[in-house]
Amino acid sequence: MRYAAGVDVGSTQTKSVIMRDNGDGTPEIVVRGLVDTGANVQKAAEHGFHQACREAGISAQQVGFVVGTGYGRYKIAFGNAQMTEISCHARGAHFIYPNTRTVIDMGGQDSKAISVGAEGEVLDFVMNDKCAAGTGRFLANAAEVMGLSLDEVGPLSLQGTRPVKITTVCTVFVESDILSYLAQEKKAEDILRGVHLAIARRTVSLARRVPLEAELTMTGGVARNIGMVKALEEVLGVTLQVSPDAHYVGAIGAALFALEKMDQSFESGIWRGAHATGSGH
Amino acid sequence: MRLVAGIDIGSGLTKAVVLQAGGGATPQVIGRGTAKTGVQLERAAHQALEAATRQAGVKLVDVYIATTGFGRYAAPFRDIQATDITSAARGARFLIPGTTTVLDIGSQSTRAIRLTEAGRVAQFKSNDKCAAGSGSFILRAAKYLEVKLEDVGDLALKAENPQPISSVCAVLAESEIINHVSAGVSVEDILRGIYDSLADRASLLLKRVGIGSEIAFIGGVARQRGMIRALAGRLGVPVRVPDTADEVCAVGAALLGLKRMEARESAPALG
Repeated sequence: MRYAAGVDVGSTQTKSVIMRDNGDGTPEIVVRGLVDTGANVQKAAEHGFHQACREAGISAQQVGFVVGTGYGRYKIAFGNAQMTEISCHARGAHFIYPNTRTVIDMGGQDSKAISVGAEGEVLDFVMNDKCAAGTGRFLANAAEVMGLSLDEVGPLSLQGTRPVKITTVCTVFVESDILSYLAQEKKAEDILRGVHLAIARRTVSLARRVPLEAELTMTGGVARNIGMVKALEEVLGVTLQVSPDAHYVGAIGAALFALEKMDQSFESGIWRGAHATGSGH
Repeated sequence: MRLVAGIDIGSGLTKAVVLQAGGGATPQVIGRGTAKTGVQLERAAHQALEAATRQAGVKLVDVYIATTGFGRYAAPFRDIQATDITSAARGARFLIPGTTTVLDIGSQSTRAIRLTEAGRVAQFKSNDKCAAGSGSFILRAAKYLEVKLEDVGDLALKAENPQPISSVCAVLAESEIINHVSAGVSVEDILRGIYDSLADRASLLLKRVGIGSEIAFIGGVARQRGMIRALAGRLGVPVRVPDTADEVCAVGAALLGLKRMEARESAPALG
């Protein structure tokens, strides 16, 4: 059995996915692992990868090829190659939903829209990593101001029937907006609905810079927030594909690249194991 | 003798001054008061005004009231309101007569205002869409670094090896700050890096209106020496800070109120 891994070192969490090629060209996900990235990126990557190996019941040496992705990808000392998260999200989304033509990825500290070709290749992309609007960071902050947990805000926002008007998408300034609505005794669900819609509009206006062709697949940690998914669907006027693995799409894409590269390296004789043995002589 | 109050209802703090004028003498600030703005703007305006009149030893009913700041329409007891831009221009030129350009950094906005020779507003640029470059950037950083806000400015002056902050966004910068902390960078060096980044943004805004020959730096952030130093090092022209930098807009509003009052008095009575 041949294993390969993708490690997506995000700003907030590090996702590790181990995949296996059953020999018939159909890759299969063996394990998904999640650890907080924290301040020590290198440690998080190592910890995440080894934890995933343990869970898969294999040793790190049995993993033939590791591809790192995400903002911390160059800190992965044990990785064999790095790929951009753009390529990995496109590849991973295509693996889960082969008809994907657009990926909207909302992560902990950035958001992007990727135009994807029929083979899962990147045609075009736009990215926001300059401003926390449209990222998980924004929602975490809003939740904190409201005295709620991040998991609560999405479902609660769906109960809002009269969304408040949010005039700013600045994560800092929206705090004052929220506080003044709370002082006016607006309902938490209406405030949250307003907040989610404001961020959805902002994200869609960024995403419109690439062709927004169906099917649209949402990836990244924020895809776990049902309120954000629904708000985006409302603003876009289309349904989004959201996999239970949405959070792992980057790592899945990286693992798929790793399987492919392992094959190539194997053929040229420089696969991980051979390299390791050879280095002693 | 005329009594005019200027109330600047800002997003962080509400500032009020009482000005005494008349008899050909230069108007003088005879009372000042502040209140945290919070979410009840009218109450904050009232509190600050009451404190200012109490200090001045005058009665509220004898005072003509001009408001300014983002909450200027929130005080129903006002006689007149003026925009923050006009008030800043008027107040800065009054306190620092050589002012050609005003830089106003408050808790939620940054403004660059170019004045005409007569002291009117020639052109202005502002950022109030995003916390980058505003006082709240510093506020959040201070909180993260567990430093008191009033100490931030002086601590930054002790920096030996300033560490740049590349994030423009006040929120994303926090991760960068945390990384610096965990890499063992000193608080002083981080703070200086933050001021450098804010000063870079302010310079860009100033360049868009023209830097001129003398800058009046006003607003709450102008009280911080680290920021003054960072700006002075970049702009190549004198950066002057009035003693009471955060009440400049309130003074400006009061002066505009005074002008209106005088105009009304000299106009022929109707009917």
